[in-house]
Amino acid sequence: MAFIKLNDLEVEVEDGTNIIEAARQHDIEVPHYCYHPGLTRPANCRMCLVEPHVFFPPAGKVVPDRQLATGCTTTVRTAPPDRKLDGKYDFIVRTDTPRVKKAREDILEFLLVHHPLDCPVCDQAGECDLQDFSYNHGSGKSRYLEVKNVPPKKDLGPDVLLYSTRCIVCTRCIRFCDEVAGTGELGLIHRGSHDEIDIPRDHDENPLRLLDNKLAGNVVDICPVGALISKDFLFKSRPWFMKQVNSVCPGCSVGCNITVDYKEDGLYRIKPRFHEDINQHWMCDDGRLGYHYVNSEDRLQIPMKRVDGELVPTSWADALNLIVEKFSETDPESIAVIGSAQGTNEENYLLGKLAREVLKTESIGLFGREPGEEHKFPQFTIDADKNPNTRGARDMLKLGEDASLTGEALWNGIANVKVAYLVNGAPERPLDEGAKQVLEAVDFLVVQDIFESDVAQLADVVLPGVTFAEKDGSFTNAKGWVQRIHRAVDPPGEARVDWEIIQQLAKRLGGEMDYHFAGEIALEIAENVPDYQDATHQNIGAGGVNIERG
Amino acid sequence: MSNELIQIETPFQFSEENQRKFDKLIQRYPVKEAAMLPTLHLAQKQAGYISPAVMEHVAELLELPVMKVKDVVTFYPMFFEEPVGKYVIRVCYTLPCALRDCKLVLEHIKEKFNIDVASETDLAKGTTPDGKFTLLKSECLASCDVAPVVMVNDDLYKNLTPEKMEEILDGLE
Repeated sequence: MAFIKLNDLEVEVEDGTNIIEAARQHDIEVPHYCYHPGLTRPANCRMCLVEPHVFFPPAGKVVPDRQLATGCTTTVRTAPPDRKLDGKYDFIVRTDTPRVKKAREDILEFLLVHHPLDCPVCDQAGECDLQDFSYNHGSGKSRYLEVKNVPPKKDLGPDVLLYSTRCIVCTRCIRFCDEVAGTGELGLIHRGSHDEIDIPRDHDENPLRLLDNKLAGNVVDICPVGALISKDFLFKSRPWFMKQVNSVCPGCSVGCNITVDYKEDGLYRIKPRFHEDINQHWMCDDGRLGYHYVNSEDRLQIPMKRVDGELVPTSWADALNLIVEKFSETDPESIAVIGSAQGTNEENYLLGKLAREVLKTESIGLFGREPGEEHKFPQFTIDADKNPNTRGARDMLKLGEDASLTGEALWNGIANVKVAYLVNGAPERPLDEGAKQVLEAVDFLVVQDIFESDVAQLADVVLPGVTFAEKDGSFTNAKGWVQRIHRAVDPPGEARVDWEIIQQLAKRLGGEMDYHFAGEIALEIAENVPDYQDATHQNIGAGGVNIERG
Repeated sequence: MSNELIQIETPFQFSEENQRKFDKLIQRYPVKEAAMLPTLHLAQKQAGYISPAVMEHVAELLELPVMKVKDVVTFYPMFFEEPVGKYVIRVCYTLPCALRDCKLVLEHIKEKFNIDVASETDLAKGTTPDGKFTLLKSECLASCDVAPVVMVNDDLYKNLTPEKMEEILDGLE
């Protein structure tokens, strides 16, 4: 640890920390553009200038250094005893002197020379570093009277637009593509004040490559200004009109930490949230753009039952009574309960409890999305398992690695059951002929789902469940991190939160279940499921709990 | 601006001789990326200009994303992205040459061929229709003692007047 003097504070920071991070740890803002903690540091924006102090022998005292230094590349280290400043400090730096303030003001004036100041029509307005820093550190006036450069707006790829006029050429996006994605689609063309970010094009502006890697959306997040814009979010909403909630991406078993931006009418965008051990600052485009199904008008909104071969709407009371009747009159050995790797730990725990304690059956299975492709990047991996909670669901349902009712074996396993209760959550999964025959042969099939899926088409009763954005709970990712998802929007129509549906069924079947919120179930999980003793909602917090670390 | 990728119909290949030169020069550099400039010069000499096919080939040789090549090509004014004349005339237009009337030399060439001065983004307007000459303004050619100077391809011509320029141009095939 290095002992430093930061403005008037005396603080300890770890060796190797740069001034921006050291200041951030103590709530001092050092404005910066090109520096991003997940990327290399070219120190080209010059915005983060700070004033280091050095020992000046002729004066016999510590004085401000002759030159200002960039806070991003100036790191703090423990000094040898004879090199301490004022006898005790390893480093002395000020971020608030008139010299620093003047430097910031000047840099901002340069950065704004060619900027169009089109904040009123810019998507970034409200969460823009150029706007914020200009307001906090800029002069409010420009002395530039000449004609501004007006480079063209560019289409870079499937989801990314570049408004070159707004670009301050910090090169974060270029470094992201080089270092994290390893694909290198972006670069700088021309020189000096004519610098532009671009993909490779021929002389007629036709592209040789597109910014179409699966991590491309991250360049929009890290762009400190409104230059790189997501087509998906373009002109959709002002940032300050949206509410934000922390969650976990349901797209694969990596479990990227995300924030969900929403309004009353649905989700608007998903952005990655920093987690050191899981996704760092990033997420993939499959997760980022995969939220639209939540807002879909085709979501299941009312319970349905099969009458004369057709699914018709019915009431919750009727649907539940019908299920209770069938469960009650069926021999426990002919009942199967199938959980979902898309569901939360809490749901799957209750489902397991319903099966074992109320229905007295051991035929418990697991359903979910089919494995997809794994994508590896230099600093990021997208898992092949496209379910967020395969591990958690197995733990909750007490299914070992060799459990028979999972994967392809599921269909053989339920070939002879009479009543099956299947929680889906993977509506896009198609069923092959074999699986269809098995499900058709089941006398009474209850499906809890969010869309009219292949599975729901074969059901005798369909119960409308909810998506990750409409419920509370926790997911366990492939590496054992238990993380919280939070409810953002209300379920559509009469759809109900999945664990509440399970509890309703259990109650009607005479089971003893009385939970009021998901956190209560998590408390019971902590008591009953091995390794989950720390995984209460209070403990999980924003960073998650790892069950492998004990 | 379309979003459709262009297809390269005829890929670029180094001639046998240039391939030998490339194999030799690549050994001089600790990392392949460092050989970018000499490789591009070699390729431009063979192809006349840096077409997308050339960029793709150079990127492949140096094991880099093609954008890294494009980056360098657009940075340096010595690399052309469209066809240029057989003779590229660079009239020095920096201060000492300007004081010694380089403007007269430039105007003379413009009138003689009835062309404009080419810009980095539009070389065609400074190229004669027969594709023989391209006229460019240039920053300092480092021969201020013999100003005004003009460089035609790799040859430097000193102490020029419109008459001398006329003579030199007439002597070019």
